[in-house]
Amino acid sequence: MSLTTAAPAPAPTAATRDARRPRRPRTLSAFRSGPFTYGLLLILSTIFMVPLVFVISIALSSDASVSSGQLFVLPREWEFANFARIFQTSLPVGSFLVNSVIISVTSAVGQVLSSSIVGYAFARLRAPGKKVLFFVVIATMMIPAQITMIPQFWIFSELGWVDTFLPLIVPQFFSNAFNIFLVRQFVTRIPFEMDEAAQIDGLGHFGIYSRLILPLMMPILIAIAIFTLTAMWGDFMGPLIYINSEDKMPLALGVQYLTSTSQELQTPPWNLIMVGSIFLSLPMIIIYYFGQKYMYEMNLSAGSAGAK
Amino acid sequence: MTSTDTGLRADADAAPQRSGRPRAQTAPHRRKEALTFYLFISPWIIGFVGFLLGPMLFSIYLSFTRWDSFTAPVWVGLDNYITLLTDDPIFLRVMGNTAYYSLISVPLGMVVSLFIANLLNKKVRFRKVFRTLVYLPHLIPIVAVALIFQMVFAPEAGPLNQALAMVGIEGPNWLMDENWVKPALILMSLWQAGGGTILLLAGMNGIPKEMYEAAEIDGAGGMRQFWSVTFPQLTPVIFFNLIMGIIGSFQVFAQVFILTGGGPDNASQMAVPMLFDEAFRFYHMGYGSAIAWILFVVIMAFTALAFATSGRWVFYESEVRS
Repeated sequence: MSLTTAAPAPAPTAATRDARRPRRPRTLSAFRSGPFTYGLLLILSTIFMVPLVFVISIALSSDASVSSGQLFVLPREWEFANFARIFQTSLPVGSFLVNSVIISVTSAVGQVLSSSIVGYAFARLRAPGKKVLFFVVIATMMIPAQITMIPQFWIFSELGWVDTFLPLIVPQFFSNAFNIFLVRQFVTRIPFEMDEAAQIDGLGHFGIYSRLILPLMMPILIAIAIFTLTAMWGDFMGPLIYINSEDKMPLALGVQYLTSTSQELQTPPWNLIMVGSIFLSLPMIIIYYFGQKYMYEMNLSAGSAGAK
Repeated sequence: MTSTDTGLRADADAAPQRSGRPRAQTAPHRRKEALTFYLFISPWIIGFVGFLLGPMLFSIYLSFTRWDSFTAPVWVGLDNYITLLTDDPIFLRVMGNTAYYSLISVPLGMVVSLFIANLLNKKVRFRKVFRTLVYLPHLIPIVAVALIFQMVFAPEAGPLNQALAMVGIEGPNWLMDENWVKPALILMSLWQAGGGTILLLAGMNGIPKEMYEAAEIDGAGGMRQFWSVTFPQLTPVIFFNLIMGIIGSFQVFAQVFILTGGGPDNASQMAVPMLFDEAFRFYHMGYGSAIAWILFVVIMAFTALAFATSGRWVFYESEVRS
């Protein structure tokens, strides 16, 4: 919550924009807003917030009030100890967290490395068959992952990779179509004259890629890293299929495991589950807060993907 | 893109022609460039063959077999497909549920996100705060969302039914009621609709202010401006959201798996959770593969339908500018 209050007023950009044009009263009704707008926004924001307040409320509740089934939207108790207690359950929550970090960071590195070089090649290098290959790249975006789920499971179990992180991480090093597309779009907009100048100076293709274009692609690569991090951090089905041992589970699977391992007829430890959900959500919120500039960049490219 | 069309002429240039034209000297460079291209894209090629094309072909084959993943697959021809489409007591219901979920949650989510985006596009104070509040649910991993909503939908203690009780309505036992379980899942998906607003807001930012000024001078009010300026200008983004929404909603998994397990009485069972159960719980790998291919065809059909009708309502900027 403290994130939002720190947001500065967006005044300066509007002011500078206005300064450029002749002063004229702004009466555009599309941009006018009255109490009605604020009322609607307030109601909507409340609806969007209630479940989150509820999460915090339960996370701070004592075991007794959770098992009695008395749940309140606003916190009645402040059991901050729950945030430490989650590490003392029979489940290795600490390693859930570490596993999640390992899996998502390695995957992000893999996606950034592979899609940057593949995307660069599609944007800059000339080769026969490139158009067809790029069409194939785009076409693969339409194929749902479920089609390859069963054969991939077979491949990874033949390799003896089941119950390791490898089935989750290794495919990320071979880039995905959407990221290739994003990099290609981004690199296409970098002036070609720069490459020509570098070529005259004797730089090869790899040199142009690594010394010239790679630093310029940073915004889109950060966006891809964030996108991969969040996708892998929240991934549920992958670990569900491939990870069996408790100590190898990432948090997304582990938190859910907390609900299913509790004895039958016994209320699951909802306060701890909600603490787990907070642990699962908070990194995403922090990443978004610091990375929204770059995510916005990626979204814009995605938007222009729809437009062209 | 000059690079692609010159690339296609690479063969013609490969013939030695030292006629003094400077660009002839590029022939060996071209070959080197092409080789570099293939080297650079090799991660994608390996991934494409190893993790996509190969598995896809294997998956087609498997869908014509009975396979428990321990013994050799047994060829059964079209049996899996015939059973699924004519003789499986739950598959058609599952596809119906999936379609119901998608056809309601996707349009509704688009309306909600468009509505919010339009509100936030106005000059409101605390715009950043509102924008963050609305977007926050979208940042929460679906596993956590499912766990949260398991509590939200709790029959007596949950905040949803408590709020309904305040206005004198006795809320249903959402997740245990055959009639309410799908609406519950749709409600949950709407909670995350704020994700779509970010793209829409970006699109709205790109609409030239002059268009609104012109509309204003022509006497158009707020609603009219929305329908005549904002909406047509946004249709490419809306179309993008539609396609992504269709593809995503047909692949719903974690929500169902965690919240309902498909129950009660398969009222909320969807295609991917069923596929998961068949393949990884009952080891019906062939049957599961056939489900995957039917799902693929259905997603393709809906996507194609969206594309086919897009010419009528999606308005591309190049059509105005050029």
